[in-house]
Amino acid sequence: MSAMQHVLDALDLETFLVCQNEAEAKELALNLAAELGLSHADVVFVEQSGLGARVRIRSYIHHPGQGYGWLKEETA
Amino acid sequence: MTTVLLAPLDPVHDNAIKLLRRKLEAAGYTALTMPPGVTEEEVIALALQERPAAILVSRTLGYKVAETLGHLVDLAEAAGLRPSTRLGVGGMAITQETGAELGFDGCFVGALNMDEVIAFIEGRPQQARQQTAEAAPRPKPDLTEGFTYAFRDEKIARLLDSITEQLLEWVKDKQSPGIERARLRAELLTETNPNSRAALLERYLSFCDAEIQSFYRQGKLPSGVRRLEAEEIARAPQRLNPPMPAFESLRHNRQKPLFFAQYGTGCPIMDAAHVRIAEAWGIDGVLHFDPSWGAQREGLLEGLLTHEHDGTIITFENLHFIRSFMNPATLWNVRGHRGLNTPETQVLAHAAGADLLKINIPYGSTGGGTDPERLAVDGVYSVRLASEFGLPFDIPGNDELSGVPPHKTFAGLLVMVMLGLKLGARPIPKPLLCYSPYMTIEGLMDDNYVDMNVAKLRVWSEIVDAPIWPGEPIGFMTHTPERVQSALTTAIHAALASSCGAAAATIASSDEAYSKGPISGPARVDTLRATREMLRFFGQATISPTPRAAELQAQLHADIRSTLEKIAARGDFVAAIYEGLLGDPSDGLYPGRTGRGSIQTRP
Repeated sequence: MSAMQHVLDALDLETFLVCQNEAEAKELALNLAAELGLSHADVVFVEQSGLGARVRIRSYIHHPGQGYGWLKEETA
Repeated sequence: MTTVLLAPLDPVHDNAIKLLRRKLEAAGYTALTMPPGVTEEEVIALALQERPAAILVSRTLGYKVAETLGHLVDLAEAAGLRPSTRLGVGGMAITQETGAELGFDGCFVGALNMDEVIAFIEGRPQQARQQTAEAAPRPKPDLTEGFTYAFRDEKIARLLDSITEQLLEWVKDKQSPGIERARLRAELLTETNPNSRAALLERYLSFCDAEIQSFYRQGKLPSGVRRLEAEEIARAPQRLNPPMPAFESLRHNRQKPLFFAQYGTGCPIMDAAHVRIAEAWGIDGVLHFDPSWGAQREGLLEGLLTHEHDGTIITFENLHFIRSFMNPATLWNVRGHRGLNTPETQVLAHAAGADLLKINIPYGSTGGGTDPERLAVDGVYSVRLASEFGLPFDIPGNDELSGVPPHKTFAGLLVMVMLGLKLGARPIPKPLLCYSPYMTIEGLMDDNYVDMNVAKLRVWSEIVDAPIWPGEPIGFMTHTPERVQSALTTAIHAALASSCGAAAATIASSDEAYSKGPISGPARVDTLRATREMLRFFGQATISPTPRAAELQAQLHADIRSTLEKIAARGDFVAAIYEGLLGDPSDGLYPGRTGRGSIQTRP
């Protein structure tokens, strides 16, 4: 089982992006998620001030009601 | 008396050693300590002289850790101490891996855990101690213990007496499909004869909406709902029942408040995971939230059901499944305060092992809720059930979030308190600690969030001696999607509730203000962790409001009394709800419409 399958539900990524404004920060955040292979990512929080923006990006690895990797049998 | 040698193998830091000495002496050990800067040779020399059961060394600074500690282990080995003296190590510079690699018998990382230290000295396995702590039953707290429910404001007591007598008289000859189903559900839960069950189910379905009927008759699941698979059900206990750490309360050195968290991810398995996380981080109780659509249909489903939307479907099987994963001492509340299935929800919750019920007629029959006439009938019946089951019920005051001023909300809570007492139940009012629309518009909290919230809690002790449970959740409308801010605002409201002597408080996750997805597990940990830290910070210290709080409290008290006078003068509690005496359209409140016209009057 991959490490990703052990994520209970959501994977959050927090960082600071050097950028001009919040719109750019959001676009960069979603691009970053895509570059990291995180599907259906959303920007939970963005706050721009000065040099750039503090952002939190979220991707649900296991959405409630779907199947959960961590519930499946361990395979070597 | 067992002797333990404590040595800081560190040039400066010996705080941990001093703390250990005090705690070990309190536990009945002889603790010999050495000063900072002592050499490994000096430690071994003293050990050979005193022959302690254990040598515990600490190391804070990170340089030459392996050389220093490795040398100590080698010297102990050469001196022949190892068979009789256990070697333990801890401190900021130490990791589990370091301790094991260097050959120590025990390694202590993180916060000091005396049970763990003593188990080590005595040579007991630490894992066994952890499992024992989990297995050791905790007493289940009673939120209402010690409260007399005596009214201190006699005028308000008389008004409430008049209002509730009228309500009880009004419902006396009335019946609803919800009550019929609750009675039938209670029979279905215990009936084992297949023919009798089939007959009961047919009667049950005669009081249900078409969608519910087609579920039972044709096996048709509502849109987006699926049954849990056998494999998922079978594997859940293995994943969700690991050995748990000993319970550590969030409250530091206080007895109150008990802390509750809400769950309702839509999936019973994920709910159980979230409950286990909350328990592991110190929660005292949890509240089950169901989907809003469940409140708008006549009838409830059966089976282990999941879906991908907020709120977990209320069925006996779902409730029982989630409860089976909880620590027996965790208090459990099932929301049933609004909607067409209020009485049946109380029956299922009780059967599945709930400790608390939730009922509020005025709040549940406004906004998108149930028709006031219908919920008055169902609500009174539900309070009777709470009394029959011997369970306390809490009364949420969340109509404040629509814009209702607190005096009107509190008047409604007080009516429910008196109703509960008259029917032999134990009511728990839940005033909100929040930054409500009314406060925003009126500017009553422009300076601070303390004065009004303190006034809202203290006014209760002027009126009645009842447990007060700020909920649901505290800090409502102060949260943002920024998780540090969100956790902090929850924690500071928890400290305020604690400072004011609240019996309980419901805390949010740091996802409270994030609306585009389900609450996540780590978001639960955020606020539990923040609350623990905040309560550690305050301990027995309290928060002092400004003199403005007393003015607000006096005004609130007068306005509550005035509202109750108008309701009593109206002489018809249900009409008072319809006519907006507990909140009108200018307050953002409208009478609920679901279930209108469904009440029957018995001849």
